[in-house]
Amino acid sequence: MKIVILLKTAITALKVNVLRSCLTMLGIIIGVAAVIIMVAMGAGAQQKVDDQIKSLGGNVFFVTGAFRQSGGARSASVVKINEDDANLIEKQVPGVEAAAPYLSASGQVIYGNLNWSTEIDGIDNRYFVVRNWDMANGREFTSAEINRGSKVAIIGERLRSELFGASDPIGQTVRVTNFNVTIIGVLAAKGQDARGEDQDDVIFLPIKTVRNKITGVSATNPKSVRFIQVSAYDGEDMDYIEDEMSRLLRQRMRIPVGGDDMFRIRNVSEMIATRAETIQVFNTLLAWVASVSLVVGGIGIMNIMLVSVTERTREIGLRMAVGAKPSDILYQFLIESIVLCGLGGFIGVMIAYGFVFMGNQYDIGAGGIIETQVVLLSLGFSGLIGVFFGYYPALKASRLAPIDALRYE
Amino acid sequence: MSQPLLKVRQAKKVYAMGDEQVWALKGVDLDIHQGEFVAIMGSSGSGKSTMMNLLGCLDIASEGSIAFAGQELSSLSKNELASVRNQRIGFVFQQFNLLPRTSALDNVTLPLLYSKVPESDWHKRATQCLENVGLGSRMGHHPGQLSGGQQQRVAIARALINDPLMILADEPTGALDTQTGLEVMALFQALNQQGKTIILVTHEPDIAQFAKRKLTFRDGELISDEQNSNVRQAALEGKA
Repeated sequence: MKIVILLKTAITALKVNVLRSCLTMLGIIIGVAAVIIMVAMGAGAQQKVDDQIKSLGGNVFFVTGAFRQSGGARSASVVKINEDDANLIEKQVPGVEAAAPYLSASGQVIYGNLNWSTEIDGIDNRYFVVRNWDMANGREFTSAEINRGSKVAIIGERLRSELFGASDPIGQTVRVTNFNVTIIGVLAAKGQDARGEDQDDVIFLPIKTVRNKITGVSATNPKSVRFIQVSAYDGEDMDYIEDEMSRLLRQRMRIPVGGDDMFRIRNVSEMIATRAETIQVFNTLLAWVASVSLVVGGIGIMNIMLVSVTERTREIGLRMAVGAKPSDILYQFLIESIVLCGLGGFIGVMIAYGFVFMGNQYDIGAGGIIETQVVLLSLGFSGLIGVFFGYYPALKASRLAPIDALRYE
Repeated sequence: MSQPLLKVRQAKKVYAMGDEQVWALKGVDLDIHQGEFVAIMGSSGSGKSTMMNLLGCLDIASEGSIAFAGQELSSLSKNELASVRNQRIGFVFQQFNLLPRTSALDNVTLPLLYSKVPESDWHKRATQCLENVGLGSRMGHHPGQLSGGQQQRVAIARALINDPLMILADEPTGALDTQTGLEVMALFQALNQQGKTIILVTHEPDIAQFAKRKLTFRDGELISDEQNSNVRQAALEGKA
């Protein structure tokens, strides 16, 4: 129970000079709050990147055509890649899970008296494999529907809620630009993509349907696609797959050795991860700067504890005269310093929670995530600062000679 | 004759003042027995304060020996000295030395914090001590809310809480007016009547007259040790 009395003594002593105690704590408060906020920002950014990579569907490449290059000048016409390229990549490059052709357009979708402007994408079932995207309701395309270019559609969650609300969309007919399609499936919600666009605001048709009805068939490249999205199995060597795809496509396009690629392969997960790493480095740096302020706060604590010991020399003398051992005095001042730091740390945590909550509420920054172990660590660390910076003043107090302390003016 | 409570033999104390050595006590022999009321007198620099510090276990003699209740003090560690001060000696100071912004009750309880007395007894003991000095109705007051005489009585209650063998009072009336001084002295005389050994350090001959025995120091030496044939009775004077 002695600890309760020591705590009471410490709080009484700190209450004597409330303003001074608060100002002293401020260093710790700011330090702890800053460290937690920085770490929370870092965790938030990391979480966002993880989500983006996950919604992208794991280890994904984008293969697009490049601008045609002639005599150093780029012409506007783009080298078209096509469905055959996708099939070939899937068949011939080891480690590839699926290669999905993709064609996009945009336009209005009308149901009854409701209409919604959305993205109209032409795909086949491989797209759902690559994107790691599950059906919430209904079914995928049949191969007959794909081959024939049937007027069937699978819609995203956002489009479903905009057009159908509570009613069941399966089997309903909607008008896409200028033709009717029947809805056969609804996809599970996927949320925002890396650029913050809603991925669920979409209608998927068989790729042939989009080509025939909306984008038109190119005479030179009848099976053209906008890009091919390729997914690799987990744990595969992404660089190797990229090289293999590149080799295959160069061969197929008959690009001579030393000639420029007429396609581009982008490892998207890697791009996002790289960006995340930059954010991480930045946040880590800021967290370190914040820790420095925590140490500066600790020095402030030490300073005030030294002043406090000097001010209360007579009290120390009296306590010794009535029987306090040096260790009793040591603990008294040490606990005072720990209480000061602990309280500062606690307030700092509260402020950090407030900040992160407000930030998330008003969508400032990448969003913060406060992890419990970071909070516990900060509290522990501020307590440790109390011990470290409080020890010397407390030791100094405990080493006073009783008579000198009693007679101190 | 029984063994003395305090047995001082050739006690010397030297302070270093820069390069110079100053002998504050130059070899004092002294016996004080249980139940005595002793006044230690002398002008400032006479060595009386040094003597009090040694008797109160606040300091250690440079040479010679001091035995307190049969125990040689020079052989004790800092912690053991603290424990002797806690258990066997009660201190009363000129400036009261109460903790500010702390109730009378908590001030009196302070020595128990450093004792082995179980916490459940603290309140009872402190209340008892405050009632004994006539402050039963002011236990919750802070020193700032008490008069000088009342503060000194709180300090005396604090000195009594561990039922010490001896009370050491350093100029206990120095900060008080004559009337309150008398009240405090009456309290000491009553305690002495109950068998407490009291050592009173003062430079006022008037105050020393309340003690049964007077020791006079000058230049670090005990120059006179006499029984007081004409003890003043504070309780009677206070009423007059």
